[in-house]
Amino acid sequence: MRIPKLAAVMATCAIVLAACQPSASAEPSAGASAAAGGECIVGVSWNNFQQPRWAATDKPNMQETIEAGGGTFIDADANLDSVQQLTDVENLINQGANVLVMLAQDNQAILPALETAKDAGIPVIAYDRLIEDPDILYVTFDNIGVGRAEAEAMFERVPEGNYVLIKGDPGDPNASTFLPQGWDEAGLADKVASGEITIVADQFTDAWSTQTAQDNMEAIIDAANADGVQIDAVLAENDSTALGVVAALQAKNYDIVPVSGQDGDPANLQNVAAGLQYVDVWKNSNELGKVAGQAALDLCAGAAMADLAIPDGLIDSSVAPAAGLGVQDFETPNGTTVKSFILQPTPITADNLDLVIDGGWITQEELCANVTDSPPAACQ
Amino acid sequence: MTAEAKPKVLEMRNIRVAFGGVHAVDDVSIDLHEGEVVGLVGGNGAGKSTLMRALSGAHRADSGEIIIDGQPQAISNPRDAKALNIECIYQTLALADNVDAPANVFLGREMTTAWRTLDDGAMEDATRKVMGRLNPNFKRFTTPVKSLSGGQRQAVAIARAVYFNARILIMDEPTAALGPAETAQVHDLVRQLKNEGIGIFLISHDIHDVFDLSDRISVMYQGRLVDTVDKARVTADDVLAMIILGKKPEEASSEELAEIKI
Amino acid sequence: MVDAAGSAPVQAQVARGTSLRSMLAATEIDLRLFGMLIALGAILLGFHIMSGGTFIQPANMVTLAVQASGVAIMATGMVLIIVSRNIDLSVGSIVGVCAMSYALLMTDWLPAVGIDLSNPFQWLIALGLGLALGAFIGGFQGFLIAYIGIPSFIVTLGGLLSLRGSVWLLSSGAAVSGLQPDFRKIGGGVSGSVGDIVTWALAALACLAIIGLIFYNRRQRQRFGFPLRPRWAEILLGVVGCGISIGVAAFANANYWPRGLATQYALEHGITEPPGGLQIPVGFPWPILLVLGVTVVMTFLATRRRFGRYVYAYGGNPDAAELAAINTRWTIMKTFILMGVLAAIAGAIGSARLNGSTLDVGQSDELYVIAAAVVGGTSFAGGIGTIPGAVLGAFVMQSLAYGLSYNGVNSPTQNVVAGIVLILAVAFDTFNRRRGGGS
Repeated sequence: MRIPKLAAVMATCAIVLAACQPSASAEPSAGASAAAGGECIVGVSWNNFQQPRWAATDKPNMQETIEAGGGTFIDADANLDSVQQLTDVENLINQGANVLVMLAQDNQAILPALETAKDAGIPVIAYDRLIEDPDILYVTFDNIGVGRAEAEAMFERVPEGNYVLIKGDPGDPNASTFLPQGWDEAGLADKVASGEITIVADQFTDAWSTQTAQDNMEAIIDAANADGVQIDAVLAENDSTALGVVAALQAKNYDIVPVSGQDGDPANLQNVAAGLQYVDVWKNSNELGKVAGQAALDLCAGAAMADLAIPDGLIDSSVAPAAGLGVQDFETPNGTTVKSFILQPTPITADNLDLVIDGGWITQEELCANVTDSPPAACQ
Repeated sequence: MTAEAKPKVLEMRNIRVAFGGVHAVDDVSIDLHEGEVVGLVGGNGAGKSTLMRALSGAHRADSGEIIIDGQPQAISNPRDAKALNIECIYQTLALADNVDAPANVFLGREMTTAWRTLDDGAMEDATRKVMGRLNPNFKRFTTPVKSLSGGQRQAVAIARAVYFNARILIMDEPTAALGPAETAQVHDLVRQLKNEGIGIFLISHDIHDVFDLSDRISVMYQGRLVDTVDKARVTADDVLAMIILGKKPEEASSEELAEIKI
Repeated sequence: MVDAAGSAPVQAQVARGTSLRSMLAATEIDLRLFGMLIALGAILLGFHIMSGGTFIQPANMVTLAVQASGVAIMATGMVLIIVSRNIDLSVGSIVGVCAMSYALLMTDWLPAVGIDLSNPFQWLIALGLGLALGAFIGGFQGFLIAYIGIPSFIVTLGGLLSLRGSVWLLSSGAAVSGLQPDFRKIGGGVSGSVGDIVTWALAALACLAIIGLIFYNRRQRQRFGFPLRPRWAEILLGVVGCGISIGVAAFANANYWPRGLATQYALEHGITEPPGGLQIPVGFPWPILLVLGVTVVMTFLATRRRFGRYVYAYGGNPDAAELAAINTRWTIMKTFILMGVLAAIAGAIGSARLNGSTLDVGQSDELYVIAAAVVGGTSFAGGIGTIPGAVLGAFVMQSLAYGLSYNGVNSPTQNVVAGIVLILAVAFDTFNRRRGGGS
């Protein structure tokens, strides 16, 4: 049933193509890509739309960018089910998608869907999560860079002393590999070797659970007190664990020490404003959506992946990839080289909270709700 | 003095109990006098237990009347039956194994203190007194009944009925799981209760037990009452014939009678 | 009374000897509970050695107890549910819904109707509404189980899933923080503890209560001429009981305010600090008082009220309970209502400790609650289990998690150890029961 529809789409595109400038596309397959000014349907396959981030930031920005460029936005949600995602991709193709944006629920299970798209000559953007395949465009934030940003901010504040490391779920490669790699790139391993930093405790947190993080941190504080050791800083990998760490410090009436986090969760940003959390590495996924949307439009218009670039002014320069606006090569853990746009995260401290307000991420009223004394600049 | 001369305490008229389309009890009428033991016998599926469950409130009769001391009564649940001083000792004994003897005796009818808490002391005391009459050697009042012997468990179940002044007592296969010594104990008990004026329905598949204890015998067959006879006027063989053939001996042919003797 | 002496159990006569078993039998305390106390002590001692002698200290033990409090409170209710041959898989999700409700009530919904943080009763109103919510959820599930007849496994599994999803819906996926300070006292810590005077007073009260109970018990036995416990056994129980109450209170009072807070307090009240700093005892934290209170109330319900008798009888033989004209359906429904309220209390402690709520508060709690009940001696066959045992079971499980965290052992290992301990505890219990032939 797919094939007749595909033929119809191809016929339509051929007619449209005939009326427009032929594309100088180097695409190998009998592409179903529309010419510039023609129909461009972008199909997005979410893995878990229930997670609030996608509805709040990624989708609206992606959709707006696509529609502003004359395209059509369609999407489907796999609800955490890898098999469902295969069906979703097929449905999106049947509905005439010219470009696919995939948020892989499982980067192995997604491969058949990838094959289906490739067979149909449809270019694929791997959004936020890596798919191990040489032909995709990988659009994401730099996870290792997040770790680097966390540690850099913390080392600036507490260059020497006793650190507690609170990591996330031990089964998540972000927690076990990428973020600690970033920490080391910022200098953690060196500082430990030179004795500037002593690691008092190093704990994983099952399921990134806030309660578990609080329980673990309380035990760590007790042990440190018993040994007469002062904790100077806590490197927490993300916001849900950071919330537990701050709660533990408060429960034990411990002096507030700098704590790190990532994700820009509202409750944590409130803590940053109130002076309870030091840094929150924010990934402005508004910008990620824009980048993916624009790349999708460009691919629709027949651009080669190697030629893609982020238009000047589309996104904030602090978020733009470190290597420049053009598409870059990225080497995956399996040794494959893919084209990529790797955006930079933004470390948020009390000094630059205005960025999250201006970025439409959180309102000033909500941000400053728990601030009592010495409000930060953004709350005055 | 024959049994019939004593006052009639219970009359069940035209009782019907159906499960789905099957008539477990089909138009059965039966009665009971004070101080009398009526043996209720019949094969499997005869309807004896079902009839008695209609009386004890465990299962509601679909139609028919239950008349106690001349007054018609409605019995829809065990509470109704107990209120009428009808007590039943089920075949399974219906004891909660994990609690002790006093708790079982008073299950559902606990004694409470002024603060509405369980008065365990009073219940244990009362149980000791009751058990003293039934089984003077019984000592284990605070252990769960699970660890008691079959005969002791039987005694607890009987104690429950006796304490609450049963006037009509149903005993469903009381000696089925007991050895000879304990069976003899139960027999003594039944005679004792009989002397106190309690009317007893005794369900048993053991003909000798029935003949030993009963004054009258009612035979059921496939839900119907075959006949109710005075023990003094029949033989065990007669009764057996009624149980197996479902007919009164005088109505059975000689071939049928010959068959069951083999 | 001759009769009483003559019918005294043989054990009491042997008790003239000195064997430990006969001594214990004379005091009539529950052997299993005693064994669990020994096990808990052994575990704590093991961690103490592992930590190089720093583990057993007031501050640490208080942390451990506060962390165990939510599960301990819920375990008391789970005992009754498992005893009556049911299960409640939804307790973790009820905790999550209630915790999120407290947080949202205090930060959002109540302020919207004019009751904001400045209102001194705001936290009480939020607490009341949350407890009512817990009772309602428990009652709804209990109704489906008791009156409609759907198996409890299915109903509470549905509850687990749908309630966890509803936490997300309530909060739109975000964490909430910033609660009223009075509410936060429920979570313990320095400001959530009652101080030394109240702690001593409670210990004295407990001591009097124990002595009173011993006297009452003796009088009850005398009233009916039952065999009495030997005097020395009763005195021993009294002394040990009082000793434990006062010891625990002293231990809690040996936990002092952090130096910084004490200095601040001294400044504010014009007290000169002695050398070594002003030592202000913290005392019992509120979560511990809640655990103690709930344990007392639940044990009372289970052993001294008809409700408890019916729960156990139903668990032992559901048929017998029906035939005894017990309203079994209402009894079962009540066990689930109770469970909902207890989960709401645990949710209050959780959100107070967190000063807010997240999506995952209470996640997987049901497993720990069931494990606590089982380690404490509750059997899935029904009819068997004690409430103090379950509370002890909760402390045993939490002592493992806390002790391993304290000694720097990582979380996957914690889970492995917890699982092994659970299996060992049940195996030991099954073995004992087979040997002893029941009880």
